[in-house]
Amino acid sequence: MIPVLANPLLNFDPGIVIWIAITFVVFVWALYKLAWGPILQALDKRENNIQESLDAAENALRRAEEISKKNDEALKKAEIEAQRLRKEAKEDAEKIRVDIIEKARTDAEEVRDQTLASIEQEKQKAMLELRSHVAELALEAAEKILNSELDEKKNKKLVDDFINDISSN
Amino acid sequence: MVQFLRAVLLLSLLLLVADSKTAYAEEPDYSDYGDIDVLGKLGDRYYIEFEPFVKLYLPRILISDGIHFFASTPAAMASGDFQDVYYVENPGDFVPGQSGPVTYKLVRADGTPVMLDLSLSKHVLWFWLAGFLTLFIFGRLARKYQSGIGRETAPKGAGMNFAEVMIIYLRDEVIKINVGEENVRKYGPYLLTCFFMILFMNLFGLAPWGQTPTSDISITATLALATFFIVNFSGTRDYWRHVFAMPGIPKFMLIILTPVEILGLFTKPFALAIRLFANMLSGKMLILSMLGMIFIFAGIYGPTWGIASAMLWVPFTLFIYALKVFAAFLQAYIFTMFSALFIGLALEDHSHHDDHHAADLKPAATHA
Repeated sequence: MIPVLANPLLNFDPGIVIWIAITFVVFVWALYKLAWGPILQALDKRENNIQESLDAAENALRRAEEISKKNDEALKKAEIEAQRLRKEAKEDAEKIRVDIIEKARTDAEEVRDQTLASIEQEKQKAMLELRSHVAELALEAAEKILNSELDEKKNKKLVDDFINDISSN
Repeated sequence: MVQFLRAVLLLSLLLLVADSKTAYAEEPDYSDYGDIDVLGKLGDRYYIEFEPFVKLYLPRILISDGIHFFASTPAAMASGDFQDVYYVENPGDFVPGQSGPVTYKLVRADGTPVMLDLSLSKHVLWFWLAGFLTLFIFGRLARKYQSGIGRETAPKGAGMNFAEVMIIYLRDEVIKINVGEENVRKYGPYLLTCFFMILFMNLFGLAPWGQTPTSDISITATLALATFFIVNFSGTRDYWRHVFAMPGIPKFMLIILTPVEILGLFTKPFALAIRLFANMLSGKMLILSMLGMIFIFAGIYGPTWGIASAMLWVPFTLFIYALKVFAAFLQAYIFTMFSALFIGLALEDHSHHDDHHAADLKPAATHA
């Protein structure tokens, strides 16, 4: 039979306290050097990294948005410019077309006028030639006729009058 | 629940039958089932026992007229210089060469106490085991962090994640809010050491052959003493002013208040030590007592009764056991939390607090 021991549970033992105190200090120091220090540092570093990454991402997003806004604006401006240019080009082309047509028409008219004028000239010339030719022919014919009936002078006057009548008609 | 009720019903039925039987039957002697040395299991001892295999005696270091070193307690007794205190009080029980140690508390052979007993006890060894386990687990974790895993990348593996959850919770919810963000690096290592070592020590008691060093008042007192020193060495001028001359209080009140405050310096760590010690001890005592009930029943009514009653005691024990697992975490957390709180209070700058006090007290003073 084991006797009931004199309250061993509330035994405050200085020897144990000394051992625990010394070794606890050693453990705290060792854990600080080998475990908690590096771990806390690593956790802090990682948290900083994450925060920095988030900040950087947000900045990048903001910049990208800015750039895209700028791009949109530039695009819109370029489109307006292109539209303007197209319109101008169209107008220019229209003008050129109209000019060319106008010029062609005037050229054609000029050519026609010149042709008409030269035709008229030729006609006049031909008329003159024809007239003199006809006069000679008539004269010859009249001479032949009047040789027998009238003197030459009277006949010529008669024929001239006749021709003048024709030409004036 | 249904199974539990069924067990209770069965037990009560059996008891009824047994009562009628034992009343008339010839009473057999079951007394050899009766003993379970609860106190011996709970108290600190100078040996490590792996029942029923081996019992390792720890070396004794005794300081009394020089340092005496013995390989074991029986060796110390055999030397003739020292004697177990039980045999000093009961010399009749001592048979030279046969009697082993009983209380393991050694005194000089003439009955005078030794000056200092620096022997390693099983609680010291389990305390060291907790320390080395913490060092091993978190040292490895730290190396993992240093190699870049968890530092540059996400933590890897269940162990690392679980450890990180606890460390970050303690850092953010216990340490940071109490001692302030700028002091985490200064007090964090101590508080984390406290938490994990106490946790491991609490959990050791739940393992087979395990011991709970935190159920020893010497050990919890030492831990509380560490907190006490840290608190008072890091106390600011404001902290001491609040202890010795609480601002905003009428001078004559200080006669009462200052002793109370000074007392408060010591009651805080005292409460820390007692809370941890009592919680851990009571849980283990309850488990051992509950299991002991099986043997007590067997001792009184016979082995059949012992086995039958086990159907009641074992579920009870399992319930208490689960509660103790929870308490192991809770008490480690509470010790750490209060340590952090006391350190935080000692560090606090009370300057705006004082204004608050003064504003509160002025109207009261005019009324008076």
